Amino acid sequence: MTLAEMKPGQSGRIACVVGKGTIRRRLMDMGIICGVELKVLKVAPLNDPLEIKIKDYNIALRLEEARNILMEDVK
Amino acid sequence: MNKEGTHRQSLIYQKEINVALVGNPNTGKTTIINALAGMNWHVGNWPGVTVEKKSASFNFQGRTINIFDLPGIYSLSPHNEEELIVRNHLLFERPDVVINVIDAANLERNLYLTIQLLEMEIPMVTAINMMDEAKKLSLEIDISKLADYLGCPVFPIVAVRKEGLHDLLIGAIEKVNVPNIPKVSYDIEIEKSIRMIFDFFTHMKNPRLSHYPKFWLALKIIEGDVAVFRDLALSAQSAIVYSTTKNLRQIYGEDLESHLVDMRHGLVSSLSHTVLKKTKVSKKNLTGKIDAIALNRFWGPFFFLVIMWLIFKITFDLSSPISDGLERFFFGPLHNVVDFILSPIGASEWIISLIKDGIIDGTGSVLSFVPSIFTMMFFISFLEGTGYMARAAFLMDRLMHSIGLHGKSFIPFLLGFGCNVPAIYATKTLESKRDKTLTALLIPFMSCGARLPIYIVFTSTFFPHSAAYVLLSLYLLGIVSAILTGYALRKTLFRQDASLFVMELPPYRWPMLSILWRQTWERGKHFLFKAGTYIVIISIVIWFLLHFPNGIEQKKDSFLGQLGTFVSPIFAPLGFGTWETSVSLISGMVAKETVISTMAEIYGLSEDNKKGNESREVKNQLKRAFTPLSAYSFMIFSLLYIPCMVALFSIRQELGSWKWSFLSIIIHGCAGWIISLTIYQGGRILGIS
Repeated sequence: MTLAEMKPGQSGRIACVVGKGTIRRRLMDMGIICGVELKVLKVAPLNDPLEIKIKDYNIALRLEEARNILMEDVK
Repeated sequence: MNKEGTHRQSLIYQKEINVALVGNPNTGKTTIINALAGMNWHVGNWPGVTVEKKSASFNFQGRTINIFDLPGIYSLSPHNEEELIVRNHLLFERPDVVINVIDAANLERNLYLTIQLLEMEIPMVTAINMMDEAKKLSLEIDISKLADYLGCPVFPIVAVRKEGLHDLLIGAIEKVNVPNIPKVSYDIEIEKSIRMIFDFFTHMKNPRLSHYPKFWLALKIIEGDVAVFRDLALSAQSAIVYSTTKNLRQIYGEDLESHLVDMRHGLVSSLSHTVLKKTKVSKKNLTGKIDAIALNRFWGPFFFLVIMWLIFKITFDLSSPISDGLERFFFGPLHNVVDFILSPIGASEWIISLIKDGIIDGTGSVLSFVPSIFTMMFFISFLEGTGYMARAAFLMDRLMHSIGLHGKSFIPFLLGFGCNVPAIYATKTLESKRDKTLTALLIPFMSCGARLPIYIVFTSTFFPHSAAYVLLSLYLLGIVSAILTGYALRKTLFRQDASLFVMELPPYRWPMLSILWRQTWERGKHFLFKAGTYIVIISIVIWFLLHFPNGIEQKKDSFLGQLGTFVSPIFAPLGFGTWETSVSLISGMVAKETVISTMAEIYGLSEDNKKGNESREVKNQLKRAFTPLSAYSFMIFSLLYIPCMVALFSIRQELGSWKWSFLSIIIHGCAGWIISLTIYQGGRILGIS
């Protein structure tokens, strides 16, 4: 399951980050890397973008960007 | 003399020190500059780009300190304009010392950048800011352990309270010319590759090589950094790259960049765990509470609209009286003063007119923009400073992205309905050059307040019973034109991929008012002085064209009138090919309100009615010159055609080059012409008249 399919309130651990070149590097530079836990906080009206909490900060990203993040242990 | 001795000696002689502030966004770099330099900091642009740069100079212990605030970044990758600006500044401008500002509440993420900075071997100290907030979150940081691990001095500070800054500065000065020796160690295989690359360096004759710190460069070669490869004319097949990374690629795969990213994260993670202690579990904080409303699916947009409405209302209520007052002063008492001084001494009529109608009116029109521009810029700075701007972008991104833009473009567009000029300046908040340029070029399609007098006069004359619908249709047509033009531009000139949205939602903060004032003044004064000068000059030119050749009887015979007659055939297929409309439209290029006031003047109204309201005389004249269809076509054209001169200058200002202003002239001129043509001829074909 990807981050794009998670709903507000759910949390999980990042299995891996895929995607071509720049998007992957950008996500990783923001701390979105394998093994890190995150929680989906909110979605915008129309379900896009979404807000996640990772470590001690909040990041917003589009669904199309979230599709690059493969998750595991989703609760 | 030993090394320390020579170092101390060089310190004594270095009277001027260049300091660069580097760190994540929202770490308080501006607060630090503001605290160190008092309010004497300035806003400009990094050369050749449209990214804002803050800098200041001040005296400290007998030395001149020049401090630069580099854009907030998360990493030093080559994929991002702002990151490249920072990289290039550090590599090629070689500041004497770098102050890496990190946020105590987000240690791990901030240290990810710190590690990369340390790789550059530049003299560096680290300042941990927001120690007060860390305390509130029950975070304890072992500063000396951190300094030990990093191999560079660490200073705790609270910038908003100016605490710790003195020690920070002293520490930074002591670090000048003392390069960092990378203390962080990477794994054996990487060290092996680095040594192999160093060997290559000794044989390489490339002159560019000496510009780079060796250790950093070796790492970039391993990573396959595109910017470095470009600069040194390397590729994956180059011997230095291929042979030195063979072992690494065998173990870790082809994507070594990701491997190093992972590695740095690993280092930073273990480092944080070693130095950080969290003694209590944090409760839901203020940011969370506000976001429960601000980002709520229903209340969020509602709250956003309320805030935007408030901004418009306050701006209007505050700036209109000042604008009107200024205009009245310029057109009234100031005119009278000129008459009073110059008439008795027998100055010729044209000199008086030049001063009154050219210089004073021109200056007056610039100054009348000033209150609204400064007010809007203040609010933009406020929204940015609190962190709400990110929330607004979050709410609006779905809409904006569907037309190929970024959520942050929404507010500039919205502001454009008030006045295009502050809206164009508001594109400052957009990070990507592509987004900024595209947005600024499309903003003039948002029908601003200055065009309203045109609509009011024409709709009350030709569409008295359906005025509201006609007005609405005009605004909507503007928006639709923007969407269509945006689409066309994205398929032609702006074919690069849309920028990424991934964005931090920083905790809410109450911005320092002194910083807001300073920022507003600094940003606004560029408009005031630069654009202002051009506008006054052009007003004089227009005045000249309107009043010469000397001794003309009718306006038609002036240069401007002749120009209008010459140009009018262009407007014939649009339904209004007369010299009167041409001249009005040409004068409307200065400011859109002048379309109506010029028209009023031409159709023979007295000087007192210069503001052009719905007097019966004008209406009758208009009814003779236009049909309802050509009136509608005219309104569309005045909405869409060339942005006013002030807006064109703002485009030059924000986007950094006249070429964008010229492009805007072409785009909007064509859009206006084509759409008016379609409306008019289409209407004729359909039998409407």
